[in-house]
Amino acid sequence: MNQLPWRLWAAQVAAVMRLELKKSFFARRGLWIYILAAMPVVLFTAHTISERADVEAVRARASITPQQREEIREGMSRDEVLAKLGKPFSSETRRRRNNVRETLWYSDGQAQFQVILRDDKVVQTGVNQGGSLGEDWQVFAAVYQYFFLRFAIFFGCVGVFMNLFRGEMLDKSLHFYLLAPIRREVLVVAKYLSGLVATTVIFTASVALQLTAVFALYDSNTVDQFLKAAGGWQQVWAYLGITPLACLGYGSVFLFAGLLFKNPLIPASLMLMWEGVNWFLPALLKKFSVIFYLQSLCPVPANPMGDIAAPLRLLASTAAPTPAPLAILGLLGLAAALLALSAMRARKLEINYSTE
Amino acid sequence: MTPVPDSIVFDNVSKFYGEVLGVNRVTLTIPPGITSLVGPNGSGKTTLMNLMTGLVQPSRGDIRIRGVKPSEPEKLFRFLGYATQFDSFPKGATGFGFVYGSLRLLGGGHADAEKLAWQAIEQVNLVEAAKRKIAGYSKGMRQRIRLAQAIAHDPQVLVLDEPLNGLDPLVRAETIAMFRMFANQGRHVIVSSHILHEVDMISDQVILLSNGYVVAEGQIRGVRSEIEEHPMQVLIRCSRPSEVARRFFEHEHVVEVKLHSDRGGLLVKTRDADRFYRLLNQVAMEGVDIDTVAPADDDVNSVYTYLIGAEEATK
Repeated sequence: MNQLPWRLWAAQVAAVMRLELKKSFFARRGLWIYILAAMPVVLFTAHTISERADVEAVRARASITPQQREEIREGMSRDEVLAKLGKPFSSETRRRRNNVRETLWYSDGQAQFQVILRDDKVVQTGVNQGGSLGEDWQVFAAVYQYFFLRFAIFFGCVGVFMNLFRGEMLDKSLHFYLLAPIRREVLVVAKYLSGLVATTVIFTASVALQLTAVFALYDSNTVDQFLKAAGGWQQVWAYLGITPLACLGYGSVFLFAGLLFKNPLIPASLMLMWEGVNWFLPALLKKFSVIFYLQSLCPVPANPMGDIAAPLRLLASTAAPTPAPLAILGLLGLAAALLALSAMRARKLEINYSTE
Repeated sequence: MTPVPDSIVFDNVSKFYGEVLGVNRVTLTIPPGITSLVGPNGSGKTTLMNLMTGLVQPSRGDIRIRGVKPSEPEKLFRFLGYATQFDSFPKGATGFGFVYGSLRLLGGGHADAEKLAWQAIEQVNLVEAAKRKIAGYSKGMRQRIRLAQAIAHDPQVLVLDEPLNGLDPLVRAETIAMFRMFANQGRHVIVSSHILHEVDMISDQVILLSNGYVVAEGQIRGVRSEIEEHPMQVLIRCSRPSEVARRFFEHEHVVEVKLHSDRGGLLVKTRDADRFYRLLNQVAMEGVDIDTVAPADDDVNSVYTYLIGAEEATK
């Protein structure tokens, strides 16, 4: 082992990465990957902006106190309500065949208060406190698992890792590397690391921005309490850690597929299908997927059963989540095995641009 | 296969692309010097070069480049440079970046790579354009930057696919001089070309290819003498050409003699070069003044036409 030229290999890996990272980060054809990564950031930012506007509106429209709110009872007349609370900031009247339904909106500066009247009598009241960090955290967890992991990172890795060899074959520039005094195995590792750095930076930055957008809606006390007292930090670090692992797992799959297939759509579709039907696979087969291990690591468990139609729920099977250390080792093992297979494949790689 | 350390050896090498033949049963030993691979498009020149450099792998047979297998790029490209015909470069690369980037892949440091890159770029006269993007280069400049990349690490074996394509006459002459200098230093310079007079000018030996087969190899005159069915043609400028013609006709190996229209010489076709030259010496000793004796058809063009037919040669 001591006789292996590790220093030379490290220098060569660095040389390849210098060239590849430039391509991965600044290639025009990679623009859609940034868009994919930015989509949830835009979603959460838009949500925060919209919610803030609502909070501001509630504050600006404050005309009653919480005590006045408590005084409204079912059965009171419209005039009694108006006498106690005054003029609402907004109202809506709907006329049906036999009755008139009216909704009055008030604000106490913290929440919206809704009074529903039927034929001038109060039939229901309600308080809309706005969203809570707990609810938003659940939404973030669902978006992360169902969109970010299964779609954004998945296709981002298709775009980056499949192109490491296949893209250069199509550009007719792969010979540049194959004519260098570099072992094909070293080239595979260097290109893989370049893809891994690029996707990790892009998608982890996206997660960080998503979290920032989620927390930006709440005051510092609420956020602080969530992060420190409710184990929020652990969850934040978990999401920031799972993202590189997803890039590592999917990256190794698509690097190998890029060396095996000419058309990236075939392996990407097959893989998407396999990962998509993961919920319905027998427990043993579940373990042969990347998403199973990633979901095992997610701190907020997502339960897809609620979203699945009842007949299909019968087909779904459950498997106990893998403990975190095992899940991480499983992903690392998968990546190592696929890298070894990719290296073997790369040794047989030929330049035949005319058939591409 | 007996290893020949300083040679490039092909031992019964075949390459098939599916059912399409690339090259078939090639057995060659190429010594140092300038060797030209000659043949029309599709004859197998590039396949032979790609086999030599490991860009494609043989379906059968064994290849050694100075004792190293092409499947060991980490060893091979320390002493081999290949300027391919592929007219594509890493996206956005400048001339300097292209050469410098390939030198960094050797594993060396920035300073060494920078120095070697500038040296190579200077050798191909591209210093002024070196910092410009290759995408804006002319065909000749792209050819030169590929050449710079191939020679930048001072290789012992230089493989060049159609290296003179697109070069202007001055640069062409300089490039040929550089090949000659390399060859004189005991290095291999393997060039491919379908321009026969060019090959004739620069080669120490030729390998003639047709439809994936090696049809002849060796020094151009040696190859010529092996083609017995085509009589060798010799141009002679001399005094008393009619008398000389009569003397030649007395010998059965002389098949045709034509007098020049200016009566200052003759063209002789013979089936036996050795006997012909002995006879010519005899004629000279008998008092005929001989000014010039020049083979008229031992150039690559003639040899190629004889070996594979006029139609193939002009492809």
